[in-house]
Amino acid sequence: MTIAVETPVAGQSSPPRGGGLPGVKQLFSQYKVLALVIAIAVIWAFFAWKTEGGYLTPRNLSNLLRQMSVTGMLACGMVFVIIAGEIDLSVGSLLGLLGGVAAVLDVTYHMPLALNLAIVSGLGLLIGLFNGYWAAWLRVPSFIVGLAGMLAFRGVLLGVTGGMTIAPVSDQLVYLGQGYLPTLIGDLLGVVLFVIAGVLAWRTRIANARYGLPVVPLWRDVARVVLAGVVIFGFVRTLNAYDGIPIPVLMLMVLLGVFTYIATQTVFGRRIYAVGSNMEATRLSGVNVRGVKLAIFGIMGLMCALAGVVNTARLAAGSPSAGSMGELDAIAACFIGGTSMRGGVGTVHGALIGALVMASLDNGMSMLDVDSFWQMIVKGSILLLAVWIDVMSRGTSRA
Amino acid sequence: MSDFLLEMRNIRKSFSGVKALDGIDLHIRAGECVGLCGENGAGKSTLMKVLSAVYPHGTWEGEIRWQGQPLQAQSIKETEAAGIVIIHQELMLVPELSVTENIFLGNEITLPGGRLNYSAMHQQAQKMMAELNMPDINVALPVHHYGGGQQQLVEIAKALNKNARLLILDEPSSSLTTSEIRVLLDIIKGLKAKGVACVYISHKLDEVAEICDTITVIRDGVHVATQPMASLDVERIIAMMVGREIGDLYPREPHDIGEVVLEASHITCFDPTNPARRKVKDVSFNLRRGEILGIAGLVGAGRTELVSTLFGAYPGKYSCSVKLRGKPVDVSSPIKAIRHGICMVPEDRKHHGIVPQFGVGWNMTLPVLDRYSHAGRIDKGEELQSVMAEIGRLKIKTSSPHLPITGLSGGNQQKVVLAKMLHPKPDILILDEPTRGVDVGAKFEIYKLMFELAKSGISIIMVSSELPEVLGVSDRVLVMGEGELRGEFNNQGLTQEQVLAAALTPLASVAAEHGVTV
Repeated sequence: MTIAVETPVAGQSSPPRGGGLPGVKQLFSQYKVLALVIAIAVIWAFFAWKTEGGYLTPRNLSNLLRQMSVTGMLACGMVFVIIAGEIDLSVGSLLGLLGGVAAVLDVTYHMPLALNLAIVSGLGLLIGLFNGYWAAWLRVPSFIVGLAGMLAFRGVLLGVTGGMTIAPVSDQLVYLGQGYLPTLIGDLLGVVLFVIAGVLAWRTRIANARYGLPVVPLWRDVARVVLAGVVIFGFVRTLNAYDGIPIPVLMLMVLLGVFTYIATQTVFGRRIYAVGSNMEATRLSGVNVRGVKLAIFGIMGLMCALAGVVNTARLAAGSPSAGSMGELDAIAACFIGGTSMRGGVGTVHGALIGALVMASLDNGMSMLDVDSFWQMIVKGSILLLAVWIDVMSRGTSRA
Repeated sequence: MSDFLLEMRNIRKSFSGVKALDGIDLHIRAGECVGLCGENGAGKSTLMKVLSAVYPHGTWEGEIRWQGQPLQAQSIKETEAAGIVIIHQELMLVPELSVTENIFLGNEITLPGGRLNYSAMHQQAQKMMAELNMPDINVALPVHHYGGGQQQLVEIAKALNKNARLLILDEPSSSLTTSEIRVLLDIIKGLKAKGVACVYISHKLDEVAEICDTITVIRDGVHVATQPMASLDVERIIAMMVGREIGDLYPREPHDIGEVVLEASHITCFDPTNPARRKVKDVSFNLRRGEILGIAGLVGAGRTELVSTLFGAYPGKYSCSVKLRGKPVDVSSPIKAIRHGICMVPEDRKHHGIVPQFGVGWNMTLPVLDRYSHAGRIDKGEELQSVMAEIGRLKIKTSSPHLPITGLSGGNQQKVVLAKMLHPKPDILILDEPTRGVDVGAKFEIYKLMFELAKSGISIIMVSSELPEVLGVSDRVLVMGEGELRGEFNNQGLTQEQVLAAALTPLASVAAEHGVTV
């Protein structure tokens, strides 16, 4: 995937450390991403061997990425929530509710797609802010706010749908979940991404030189950009070899870019990390801590709206059980991707790689017809193992 | 042989090469109350930790004899079994458990099968509370139903239940109201009559003078004197506690002091955990342009509470009115205070000062990120340039602006926090214990910076527990004690004795003295 390689080139700064010098910790964090990439490679190799290559066909990889996109969207929002030292357990139910609302608006009221999206997004944002208000202003622990929302939002969904599946949704909406980008545009997009990677690397070099920072040897930057190019090329070619880049995957890539930008380049992003790392010190530095928390919950609600609409589109129906356990997948993805339970540490690309790990396991085991109870046991074990390795490596790096 | 209950002889203890205790002696007879006096950091707490085996035998030098026998305890459990019980400044009670359950915690009376024998425990608890003159307490109620003073008594009952022969009370009255202190002192007198010995550690010398038979003074880890209280008075004790010259650690520079910029009036803060108690009692003061105002006082005098109110960071209830250049301003949150040009470097660097997962540079720019950003995007180059300039100006020793702040020494971390709070360009800078945990070299540089800032017209309020520092740096000194403003001095020929005497003299007694003289 592009994720792993693109970010070091583009931002040259995993958020907890700051752009520029490759400190020991930064190297360590890059190895951590590498470790995750290796883990995915191992998982893919294993399933490829078991399915005699069926796992690695363009068709299956395209499916796999599409399957991970809903969890990935939630993980994008969740990673900010967890970095800020909070948690949101309501996202699965909220996804279901907003997806259900989108289905009702589409099926019953024949709402045009753009208006539908706007209404559902607005609703998601408002509900997210509502959660945030309870957590940040009324100081109810976010765990409890989430738990309450998990119950209540699912209840509202059951009430709205009457417990029935809402179908058939319009073709327009279905396109959001099942459509593909025309291959030509996919190719163009790949070229554009490659050029952006090159330009960003070049600009970082110039900036470092201007501020008297050490500049890495040219060959390393060239190697990085070439590597990024290879990954982008492979990604686009593989997906185009099937039907093109799936629309949900495209949306997820855009979100990856936007969220990484927020995390590494903006004032707001910096404050999210500060709040999660030491809330008191941040408050005493004159940062509106409650405002930051309110905003991240709002963003989380927005992501639920997007994920809900895409989920409804993917299933071509609004289902009363949509998104159940979705919060757990999103949270697990964040933790597998190296987000710290105690706040202050985490990356967007890490969380998405975490989501990819989960999706890869799901997809592979389904192909092998593994019983669903085994799937749950395996996923649970992987989560435990991944976080244990993370804790262990943190411990040794401190000692 | 010896008629002492406890003898500590020539106790020495070092922390990584730094001598904390250097040959301390302490002798206590049964039924005697010894007052242990010394300034902040003199080594009182360390000595008591040696005695109660928080530092086990072998980690210090010297000898402890208990009832004539050598005592070589390895843990608090052993010293408690011997009858030495320490009651800490912060009470060690479980608020949700009942009075009885707290008294018997770890020492429960059980029926066969491990079931708790509540009736026996309640009965005994009731008897103990009656002996402590507190028969009104319902021992079945949770401890948090009772105020600080009564909780203190529960703590004492818990100690007595362990058959304590020697009670160590570390600042027992610091969180009590006047009437609660009265009760406590009477109970200690009662215990003395029953043969229980006490070590009483307190900054409140009037209490010490009232109940102690013998005074031991230590200073900088060295034993200064042990004398019967009858031959002493409070002034003598203060003189023995201080007794130290001020070196020229303070690079004083003349600076102009201008008009009044800040008028803070009627500041009152209530204890968040005991709202009946006031931690700051109606304090008013003002501050001039370019002035360094030192706030002295002993630990728990209410100084931190006072200054954090001005920065909108006091956690409990409070009332105050603040005027800047004659205009009333709202400083009810740090955001508002900073907007009005008031910045504070907090006392607790680890919890309130640094963001541990950030590098040096990111810590510095936290309050003013907006200044380096365009449409929400941080211009990292611009940010870095300003960070580098600050690192140079404050001589912060770091190999890179991206180094995690936790990798720096205490002094350098403090400089980073200082740089951070200078970043918003304040008119008024509050420094709460600016040199705590800071080595001498960094101290000198921090003082130098303070004089530079004052020269440039910034007004500084410095809270400090180190009297030499207060006298070495301040233009004017406020002295606080037990939440009251007990003195205001121009720092000309001011001595440590004067400051300490003011800190230890309640306002009521000052008034009384004046009443006599007039």
